[in-house]
Amino acid sequence: MTRKWLRWMPAAAVPAVIAAAALAGSVPASAGDPLPAKTPEEVLALVAQHAAPSLSGTLEQTSQLGLPALPQTGSSAGSDAASVLELLSGPHTARVFTDGPDNMRVQVLDRLAERNAVRSGDQVWLYSSKDNTATHLTLPADAGRHKDFSQFKHPGTGTDGVMPTPEALAARLLAAADPTTEIAVLPEVTVAGRAAYNLTITPRTEGTLIGSVAIAVDGQSGLPLSVELKARGQVEPAFKLAFTSLSLEAPDASLFAFSPPPGATVKEIDVPAHGTEPDAAVPGSVPGPMDRHGGLPKPTVTGTGWESVVEFPASPGSTEAGAMASNDPLLQQAAVAVPGGRLFSTAVVNVLLTDDGRVFAGSVPAERLLTAAAAR
Amino acid sequence: MPSNNIARASGWPLLASELSVLFRRRRTWAMLLALAAVPVLMAVAVRVSSAVPPGRGPAFLDRFTQNGLFVGVTALLVCVPLFLPLTVGVVAGDTIAGEAGLGTLRYLLVAPAGRVRLLLVKYAGAAAFCIVAPLVVALAGAGIGASLFPVGPVTLLSGDVISPQEAVLRLVLVAAYLTVSLLGLSAVGLFLSTLTDVPVGAMAATIVASVVSQVMGELPQLDWLHPWLFSYYWFGFADLLRQPIAWDSFAGNALLQGGYIAVFGALAYGRFVTKDVLS
Repeated sequence: MTRKWLRWMPAAAVPAVIAAAALAGSVPASAGDPLPAKTPEEVLALVAQHAAPSLSGTLEQTSQLGLPALPQTGSSAGSDAASVLELLSGPHTARVFTDGPDNMRVQVLDRLAERNAVRSGDQVWLYSSKDNTATHLTLPADAGRHKDFSQFKHPGTGTDGVMPTPEALAARLLAAADPTTEIAVLPEVTVAGRAAYNLTITPRTEGTLIGSVAIAVDGQSGLPLSVELKARGQVEPAFKLAFTSLSLEAPDASLFAFSPPPGATVKEIDVPAHGTEPDAAVPGSVPGPMDRHGGLPKPTVTGTGWESVVEFPASPGSTEAGAMASNDPLLQQAAVAVPGGRLFSTAVVNVLLTDDGRVFAGSVPAERLLTAAAAR
Repeated sequence: MPSNNIARASGWPLLASELSVLFRRRRTWAMLLALAAVPVLMAVAVRVSSAVPPGRGPAFLDRFTQNGLFVGVTALLVCVPLFLPLTVGVVAGDTIAGEAGLGTLRYLLVAPAGRVRLLLVKYAGAAAFCIVAPLVVALAGAGIGASLFPVGPVTLLSGDVISPQEAVLRLVLVAAYLTVSLLGLSAVGLFLSTLTDVPVGAMAATIVASVVSQVMGELPQLDWLHPWLFSYYWFGFADLLRQPIAWDSFAGNALLQGGYIAVFGALAYGRFVTKDVLS
């Protein structure tokens, strides 16, 4: 009888070994030297001084935005607004290759399909394998400088024309943020096998939906490795974008040489001189209605800091968006009717489309948007 | 109990005879022909009908008319959820139970082969079928595609273009990926086959296991379980059609299937060596 039990030993041992291995794998390895301690200011300076690197890596995005789950392969995924929503909601894996500031390729890996954005110098190609279409655009000169933190250089701060040092920039940023925001460096984390500073941004106010933002900054290169956005009162991050693997070597140059495959439908897009940043976008989101800032009147902002509410006055563009919201079945599902309009609600952002065509948006509870809308 | 290390060298003739029995069976040929018929049917249907608009039907269906090599990929895609698990379930479920059902298991064990070796040889036979089945679909697809449609440079999912030779290599890689994918199911079938003397029962149970695994993989409520299902990576072969090839899913798949082989192999061992063989 004991012999018989011995024969069953492997059947008991193998699952035990696998369970042990799975547990050991899920415990973050804290190998290597700990990073030297840094203040938030020093970490911000580290981010600011990092040069646009050469890298190839895999990004993973998960989100719990509270949006309805959208079909990933459904035929309804064709509409522009739906494809933007689809990118924001649900998990995605993307591969990123960059070589210097001017060469970049992003591949969004879909199930049995792929969306590509390739940038080589001022040439940008977008390719979607699902409908076999390629879109070409030429960037205006001077585009793509957005990576060097020049967007923080506000007019009137006395730095026009002069690039501030990363340290000065970090100090100014911290000083500006301090009244509303707490910035701290939490114990280091490991992202994609690299030790990283865990920079955490917490709003000081209760009146916002955002609980905290955590940015993991690579201890060696200063490259942000992950961004985690938590909504107030949520345990799981509402939005998380993180490298799962990363190599800081220059990828193969042939990756950035893209020409449309034979048989593909090729579209040409003219970019006005003051275009948005197309290389930050992904195919499908480019012609989206959210990008048409040009057609909208200037928005007004009420409230300060994290509690700001942005109001877009009624305009042909916004009424069109409102009409689209009430017609598109997907958006209809996502937006609920409230007194005086439709509310598009997520865990971190609320958008109110009023019946008279105004649009209110903010990371605030829905009631504040409704009061703001009623106040006019 | 026969000792395990008697006549260790005599495993190869046993394997050779197992393979020749398996591949000379009319049933095996019928299954392989049925698998080969899938791409042929699809290619003929597209050939005689008008152009397929992009985005309709299974992936790449619209590319047939531009490039015949896509027939192989699409046929594999269509076969993955049902036809391949079905045929593998029949072969794997038959391994031990089939011999027991025919009453030949007793004679196989009288020979000084040992139960462990018999189990290994039976599993190797099922694995050989896992190699042949996807390859038959892929090559039949490429063949019928090449004869009905033009063959030229192939567009990958990333939009990059590769030569037909490289495309055939990728097609064989996809078939190899599916071979690995089916090894876990074969191990499940082998275990189920040791439980019963009725081969049809083991075959049906194996096929049901593959369906259950895929259904659970579709339920968002079971998110935490998905990476542990043997069908989790089945559709990941598309990663081999990207540029550069994403090997992550191949490696993950191999690890997962290895785990299934270890667990269900150990279970099959525990059951088979303690089993009273009466027939």
